Amino acid sequence: MKISKQQSGDIGVIIIEEKEANLSNSDEFKELILEEITSGTRKLIISFKQVEYLDSSFLGALVAILKALLPYNGKLILTDMNDDIVNLFQLTRLDKIFILHNDLENAVKEF
Amino acid sequence: MSKTILMVDDDIVQLELFKKLLTSNGYICKVALSVDIAESILKHEIPDLIISDYQMPVKDGFDFRRILLQNDLLKQVPFLFLTSVNDNNFVQQGLDLKAIDYISKGTPAKQILSKIDNLMRSVRQHYEKSLSEIKGIAEKLNLRNTPSATPVLKNFSVSFFNTSYQDHPGGDFIDFIQVNERFTFIILGDVMGKKWGAWFFSFSFLSYIRSAIRLCVYDGNFSLSEIMAKLNRVIHFDELLGDIFSTLSIVLIDDDTQKINYAGAGDLPLLKYEKGKADLQSYQSEGILLGFLAESNFNETEIELGSDDELYLISDGMIDFETAGVKRSDINIFKSKLHQLKESGKSEDDINYILFNKNTTQVDDCSIITIKKIKNEDK
Repeated sequence: MKISKQQSGDIGVIIIEEKEANLSNSDEFKELILEEITSGTRKLIISFKQVEYLDSSFLGALVAILKALLPYNGKLILTDMNDDIVNLFQLTRLDKIFILHNDLENAVKEF
Repeated sequence: MSKTILMVDDDIVQLELFKKLLTSNGYICKVALSVDIAESILKHEIPDLIISDYQMPVKDGFDFRRILLQNDLLKQVPFLFLTSVNDNNFVQQGLDLKAIDYISKGTPAKQILSKIDNLMRSVRQHYEKSLSEIKGIAEKLNLRNTPSATPVLKNFSVSFFNTSYQDHPGGDFIDFIQVNERFTFIILGDVMGKKWGAWFFSFSFLSYIRSAIRLCVYDGNFSLSEIMAKLNRVIHFDELLGDIFSTLSIVLIDDDTQKINYAGAGDLPLLKYEKGKADLQSYQSEGILLGFLAESNFNETEIELGSDDELYLISDGMIDFETAGVKRSDINIFKSKLHQLKESGKSEDDINYILFNKNTTQVDDCSIITIKKIKNEDK
């Protein structure tokens, strides 16, 4: 799975560099981010700027990541999602459990 | 569906020639000029076949094959050597490394293509045979995540359509629990994920749902909110389902009073068709995914169903579309298509056929349950 990582202070910024976030990369993505959490990252931003489509397997991976952060009082912000993906989050009430932002700059300010 | 082949050769002319041959015959061809590049491609994508040259600088074809054999996922991918080194000793070494074949570059292109076609067909047949055996065992063990029959009610008819992604068993599950002559529960869930993993976990969710409903009903409790809350709590504390999540829609039909109640968890809205109305009406529940939090609220909605109305429970595969290679999720496209088909007077079978014919690109499991009132003259 193609991702790039940046560090902004104690915030880990993950940029997904794939057009599709789906079954073929969801497990690998989940493991990568869970490793980040295990190694101490508690503030995370995941950018979907390049993602055009996201399937339920990837949604499941994101929920598992969020659930893994809860015991540490960690925070996860998802940014730059296209309208279809935001609609999917709203339709399935995932917008109630995730923090969604339009862009990275605003997301960093949220911490 | 097109099969992907990874070709590894340090000769760019050879690579381009084979790429042209394979792509013009329906394959998707990825190319790598070295073993290192091939390894980097394989980190992101597992092809259906790997074809490699032997003689390459730094790491040769045998080194590459040995690396693949150490990887549990990649060692399963069929592997062919395509090389100009035809010494018998080398051929034997290549075959000893569990390569399916060792083809000389001097072989006519048409023959190479036939060998690849035959190999891919044989892999597919082997896979289908294994799949059919597993499905047979699942049937014998009564492991089904969709029911074999629909409930028979006095005032309502219930039907469903379910098709799995790429013919693999999937994570959508359906159940009908007819408690007595009066009450029937209609269940539609979708374990997040696809194929075998989701299929396996769907039985855990189904068992919990059946138990929660039976236990609550046994105590005279028909509140969907309370059933969902209890169900959510036990699933939250199940370690096996720690990072597995499922959506759920539950509808309770009271066949005596003809009332319909609905509650949901992370599910797509229930849709209602009313003849003559400009659009399908949506009923969105407030519940979040089952098991995410120990305590969650699940609201319950009563839905009026007129004699010409229809109610639809749908899984998320129904709203995924692929057009010109671009995938997207859009419930409004689905609503508009379904509304148009209903208004044109098409039958349920025709609608399912139109929505799921072989020309429609399906990207996930798809399920739809339809509930309608039986008209007095049809009783």
